[in-house]
Amino acid sequence: MRLLSVVVALAVLAAPAATARGDEDDDVAQKSQKMKFTEKDGEILVTTKINKLFDSAAYEAIGSGFESTILIRIWVYKKGGSDPVAFTVLQRKVIYDMWDEVYEIQLDGPDGRSKQKVKYRAEALKLLTRIDALPIADAGDLAYEEHHYLTTVVELNPVSEETLAEVRRWLTKGGGGGLDRGGGLFGSMVSVFVNPKISDADRVMRLKSQPFYRPTP
Amino acid sequence: MKLLAVLAAVVTALAVAPEARAQDVPADDPDFGPVIVIEDIEVVGNRSTQADVIVRALPLEIGDALRAGDKRLRDARFKLLALGFFRDVTLGLRKGQERGRVVLTVTVVERGTVVLNRLWFGTSVSSPYWFGVDVAERNLLGTGLSLVGGAIYAGSGDVEGSRDQWAARLRIADPALLGTPYGIRGSIGWIHGSEPFRVAGEPADDRARNFEAFSYQRITARGGVTWDASAFTTFALEARLEAIDVDVPTSPTRALEDGRVSAVDLHLRPGSSEVVSVQVSLDRDSRPDPVLPRSGSRFAAQAELGSTLLGGSYDFASVDTRYERWWPIGKAAALGLRLKGGVVLGDPPRFDLIHVGDVDPLLTSRALGLTLSAASPGDLLDTGTAEASYGEVGGSVGVEYARHLFTRTSLIYGGDWFVGGGLWALSSRDDLALRDASVWRSLPVDLFLDAGLRLDTGLGVFELTIANALGRVPL
Repeated sequence: MRLLSVVVALAVLAAPAATARGDEDDDVAQKSQKMKFTEKDGEILVTTKINKLFDSAAYEAIGSGFESTILIRIWVYKKGGSDPVAFTVLQRKVIYDMWDEVYEIQLDGPDGRSKQKVKYRAEALKLLTRIDALPIADAGDLAYEEHHYLTTVVELNPVSEETLAEVRRWLTKGGGGGLDRGGGLFGSMVSVFVNPKISDADRVMRLKSQPFYRPTP
Repeated sequence: MKLLAVLAAVVTALAVAPEARAQDVPADDPDFGPVIVIEDIEVVGNRSTQADVIVRALPLEIGDALRAGDKRLRDARFKLLALGFFRDVTLGLRKGQERGRVVLTVTVVERGTVVLNRLWFGTSVSSPYWFGVDVAERNLLGTGLSLVGGAIYAGSGDVEGSRDQWAARLRIADPALLGTPYGIRGSIGWIHGSEPFRVAGEPADDRARNFEAFSYQRITARGGVTWDASAFTTFALEARLEAIDVDVPTSPTRALEDGRVSAVDLHLRPGSSEVVSVQVSLDRDSRPDPVLPRSGSRFAAQAELGSTLLGGSYDFASVDTRYERWWPIGKAAALGLRLKGGVVLGDPPRFDLIHVGDVDPLLTSRALGLTLSAASPGDLLDTGTAEASYGEVGGSVGVEYARHLFTRTSLIYGGDWFVGGGLWALSSRDDLALRDASVWRSLPVDLFLDAGLRLDTGLGVFELTIANALGRVPL
């Protein structure tokens, strides 16, 4: 029982290091980006771009006929705070209709869903990567003169945990035996095979804004 | 168990961080994208894998009409990667012969599909050395069939009556018969064994003179069908035929410390006997990363019924279960709970009983059915576990804390250090029935602790742990 207590204590000690925020990740470095913040009709709005998410391959893939999806998660934090003041999620999709030669775009956000069709890939990219006066928080949730900042995680073609589990399930599927009482994936110290890694998204970008505040009227 | 419940509640609370809300992504729109008809499917880049195997694994087929935003098109690449035959898969679409029709191009980059599943080696009093491997070809001749072969050799020690042991097993499986969720599998195994049993000495005295060994031979054939009920869940139904030929000593006894002599039940028919049984099993694994798990769970259960009515020499039933659940603690750590248990009823052959190495991670596990060590458990809690060797009721519960150690590189995808521990128990039904105290006080329960390192690399997975080392070189 003492051992279990120790493990619980370890877990609790580790908890403050947990990623309860959107600005920590082991694999992708966070970059600073200047963003424009305004207040209108009781809401804080942000304007910025995420076009660096697309390299040339990703840009070409927009015209492949397959769906490209961008998932944008946005958090607003009080400077020095650990809990987000507000959270917003956006999803943007594009598919090229190779017979009508148009790009179909679907935008999901706080205001609901909208669809558009555009002729050129560059137009499609602009719609996908421009964040224009997006409401990110109720103004009342941000006290006057207190500094806040925004963090965002942008993923291109994110892969669900279920799909990742399916892709790697062959690792633990038996080779025809049944439950091996003494076995398991580990236990033999080593298992050697060609082991390609499947990423949980084609590309990931993490951005942090400059601090901003609401001036006292 | 109350502590475990509290632990689970703490971890669940920790896991529900604000980021969890990010899962609230909008629902799919079934009308998004133009309607397309799959006119043809072309496979490119396959040098050894048959094109039929690839096409059958796709969640769509020629003639299907669907929206370009359909989930099946998004999933197609991952269905192929899930075969485990390819390093990468790229899909492309191009215009077909008529308006609305498209040709789906599948470009694969094949990978080596030979897998070194297990490596056995070590030393003990009863077997001064053993060495074995288990190797699989997961895509036999490009057909999608899996062929697995394992072999082990163990030298004999100073235990009276012992001999060199060896065992081999060959397994073949088609996990997706003609592209359906149904599969078939079969195996054949041969064991030339030597089984030690205690005849004298204190329970913790593992010197060779306290043991004798008897020789046996087992030839086992298994065959059955599997059903992938979902991407994560597989059921199996299997039959087992086994011939056992054993040279059991006449009236084996053990000299107890107080001078008395007691009979030893080896749970085997003298001479030749047979095991005929049927087995059902379930395996559900939802861990996104089974190597360095952060979330998800795995549940596996197996029930077996052997009967003289089926033509065998033994009437028995057994149930084995295993459950593992992981809770993320942020992105860098996770807490895992592992439960394992089994019960054997009736009159099973000795080899179907639960061995102490099956439940105590600090001891040597059986390999391909061979008992490689007669070492007794440490009895750290002084509950009499040093006596345990085989039992009819056994299991373990463990908790593990794992934390990210390495930054990802091109070759090392990730590494964890971990620390864990738990309790295991093993007993016979008679000992539990004839107890003079509560079950908890009568059940031999012991502690295990473990710590180590796990690496997920482009060359496979590696684990360095204290328990693994102790299982190879018992102290």
